[in-house]
Amino acid sequence: MTNSLNDIRHAKSMIFIGSNAPEAHPISMQHILYAKEKNNAPIIVVDPRRTKLAAKGTDYVRIRPGTDAAFMLGLINAIVTNGWEDKEFIRTRVSGYEEMVAVAKDYTPEEVENITGIPASETLRIAELLANNRPTSLTWCMGGTQHHIGSSITRTFCILQLVLGNMGKSGGGTNIFRGHDNVQGATDMGILADTLPAYYGLAEGSWKHWCKVWDVDYEWIAGRFKSKEDMSKPGFTLARWYEGVLGEEKIYQDTPIKALVQWGCGSNSNSQYTRVKRAYDKLDLLVIVDPFPTMAAVACETDNVYLLPSASQYETSGSVSSTSRQIQWRNKVVDPVHNCKDDYQIMELLVKKLGFAEPFYKNIKQLPEDITRELGKGSLTIGYNGQTPERIKLHMENWHTFDVDTLQAIGGPCDGEYYGLPWPCWTEEHPGTPILYDVSKSVAKGGLPFRNRFGDEMKYEASGRVENQLAAKGVCNPGSEVEGGYSEFKDVVPGTNWKTDLSQKTIKDAIARGMAPFGNARARCVVWNFPDQVPIHREPLHTPRPDLIAKYPTFKDKPDHFRVDTRFESEQKPDLVKEFPYVITTGRMVEHMGAGAETRSNQYLAELQPEMYAEINPRLANDLGIRDGSMMTVESPEGAKITVKAFHTERVDEKTIFLPYHFAGILQGKSYADKYPEGTAPYVVGEVGNAVTNYGYDIITQIQATKDGLCKIAKA
Amino acid sequence: MARVKFLCDVDRCIDCSGCVVACKEGNHVPVGVNRRRVITLDQGKPGEKSISVSCMHCADAPCIAVCPVDAIYQRADGIVLVNKKTCIGCGYCFMACPFGAPQFPKGNVFGARGAMDKCTFCAGGPEEDFSAEEKHLYGQNRIAEGKVPLCAGMCATKALLAGDADIVADVYRERVFQRGSGVNAWGWSKAYKE
Repeated sequence: MTNSLNDIRHAKSMIFIGSNAPEAHPISMQHILYAKEKNNAPIIVVDPRRTKLAAKGTDYVRIRPGTDAAFMLGLINAIVTNGWEDKEFIRTRVSGYEEMVAVAKDYTPEEVENITGIPASETLRIAELLANNRPTSLTWCMGGTQHHIGSSITRTFCILQLVLGNMGKSGGGTNIFRGHDNVQGATDMGILADTLPAYYGLAEGSWKHWCKVWDVDYEWIAGRFKSKEDMSKPGFTLARWYEGVLGEEKIYQDTPIKALVQWGCGSNSNSQYTRVKRAYDKLDLLVIVDPFPTMAAVACETDNVYLLPSASQYETSGSVSSTSRQIQWRNKVVDPVHNCKDDYQIMELLVKKLGFAEPFYKNIKQLPEDITRELGKGSLTIGYNGQTPERIKLHMENWHTFDVDTLQAIGGPCDGEYYGLPWPCWTEEHPGTPILYDVSKSVAKGGLPFRNRFGDEMKYEASGRVENQLAAKGVCNPGSEVEGGYSEFKDVVPGTNWKTDLSQKTIKDAIARGMAPFGNARARCVVWNFPDQVPIHREPLHTPRPDLIAKYPTFKDKPDHFRVDTRFESEQKPDLVKEFPYVITTGRMVEHMGAGAETRSNQYLAELQPEMYAEINPRLANDLGIRDGSMMTVESPEGAKITVKAFHTERVDEKTIFLPYHFAGILQGKSYADKYPEGTAPYVVGEVGNAVTNYGYDIITQIQATKDGLCKIAKA
Repeated sequence: MARVKFLCDVDRCIDCSGCVVACKEGNHVPVGVNRRRVITLDQGKPGEKSISVSCMHCADAPCIAVCPVDAIYQRADGIVLVNKKTCIGCGYCFMACPFGAPQFPKGNVFGARGAMDKCTFCAGGPEEDFSAEEKHLYGQNRIAEGKVPLCAGMCATKALLAGDADIVADVYRERVFQRGSGVNAWGWSKAYKE
């Protein structure tokens, strides 16, 4: 999130696309409804389903799954055509604008209607609504990302906000709600396949940086890899790790994956789940660390599974990072019960047994405060260094002194600081950055320009134009020594830059000069190293509109994409829709969480939502003879088939089937309920919805495309 | 002290059932007994609305009037409670209640229903405050601790308000007054062009 949940209270309008906050983020709703009530701010909900958020919204726009980019480009085109763009913001702080507009102009309201199903008049009406109610807070969630063009779709969201001039402003911003209380922290700590903690990447310099932080010899670490090339090669992703086990697709590493540790990972959130299950059976070793036995624990039918019961969040303590980039301290309520251990203990025991505890635990004496200190010391890219455990705890103890609207402490020991020291918090004196890219405040007081990362000048392939990438003259934070754009800071300490200077002299020097360590640049509409330099619409791999493939085809197949080939062009079969005529999309329900191992084990939540179901429009259901509450089958093009209860509702249209993804314990009709260790079976088991989500992955991130597949259905 | 009241602001209720689960978990209510429920109208259609309902602790409570054994009584603060040791499970209160609040844990078609259970406003029961027996039969006594009922305390959007009726009314009145008072105040764009 560029802003915070609380800052949404200042929005004059809100647009949610691929986000259903009442089910997925109920707490955020108090701020959303506050803005609606106090500011008369319209809540625009763009979603294939008329969701619970739509029930609280003022404007609902039903969109065909996977066509979000087309709608956004349509809005941008309508805004630019009518002259509603923020011309000064674009002139001073945006790059590649002309090149972007040249692409967006093809998305006329009529063309958008053809692609998305949204009436042309609605596109114009929403564009005008946004133009007249600035700033707009824009929110997306998994519904915006889980597509083969997810990385393009999210960029169109950002570009819309740039065009409207809504970035770096209170009440504006791109506010992506994270799904759990510490997902932002988990992401920051580098759970992705292509980066070390804090987005340092996997390059040699990145490894050397972290080796210095850990006080571990780089050559020793390098020696543990087969080669230095392997060390810098992105690994398998969460979405497709099983390809490394199954051997059914070509993989780009010497040996298949033989062992897997799933730590706090409910596996039935993986698409293509029948293949995931087969991979479990093929592994030599599967270790599951979780407070509850997950679906993986029972789906794996070979004798290779170890369950390590871990403590819940109430039985341990430590720092967590919220969706608003705030760091908070979580206090232990009770000691771990039964035979479980907390995650720190499990990790320490494992590392000791593996024989490298000595080099890795040098800085860690007082768990978990030392862990927070060590990760903060290294995570300079995102300014995690100012949030010491002492400061975090002081904020928790003085919660009542912070203002609910601004998040700033009024008096008291944290006077002037922002709650949770939202990153970047550059130094131990810095108040935190409540709104990213806000040039109205000095950097020392929580302001920030756009980051300079990819050079000072760019020549665009599409137009041949050369453009300076730094912010225009006169645009900078108050007190900046340079009155305008400037490059990122380096060689303040020779041989280092602001990200790698562990003495933090570079960062402190920059702030003393009123400048941001990462420079002052423009936000880019053109990304030269992406296949679509300006984001465009491409038809979903499995599309119900094959007539659009010629004009909006997918990408060429991508080899060695996180160590495995990914099919795009060869997977986009125009005839598929004849046999699989309905769109399948998935999502959350408020009663259950993620893969549901925890919530389905709570008797009261189980009571509220005791059964897996599919949402189906009454008209479609009646045409096919599927009665409300009777059983129906859902079958994927990959051959998986589940039998679930039909739930008639007009939330979905006549072409779309919706499945919640929280259920597990039954896979394609076969129950695994008796496979749970005695006394640990959840109260509720149900078909794994992800058994029938389709093949398809994002071209950049490889996130699974679970929101826009195809299926066929029948009365069971 | 004035009487206590519940108020559910339907413009704020998002049908998350947080109140239901808080009530059950906090008072160890058996599965199948619902002291509180969220009702949704026009689910998935334009105009969808949700409201959280429990015993409303009525002023002239019909359940008290119909109870043949005088098991139900009203405290000075308006909280309506049942004495489970007196209740014979006849179910008259359920027929009389305009909100469907009374619950019968052992209910089946011809069998005995067991003592009636319902929302206590988190005020326990006739037993001694904080006694083990009170907790076992009725759940927590948060009122005696000076706290609001769990359901309202847990509400994510503060749709559900509970407590001293004057204060509840003030909170709601302020909320109604505040609606439309901020940056996009009604009529401002027409009256005073920016």
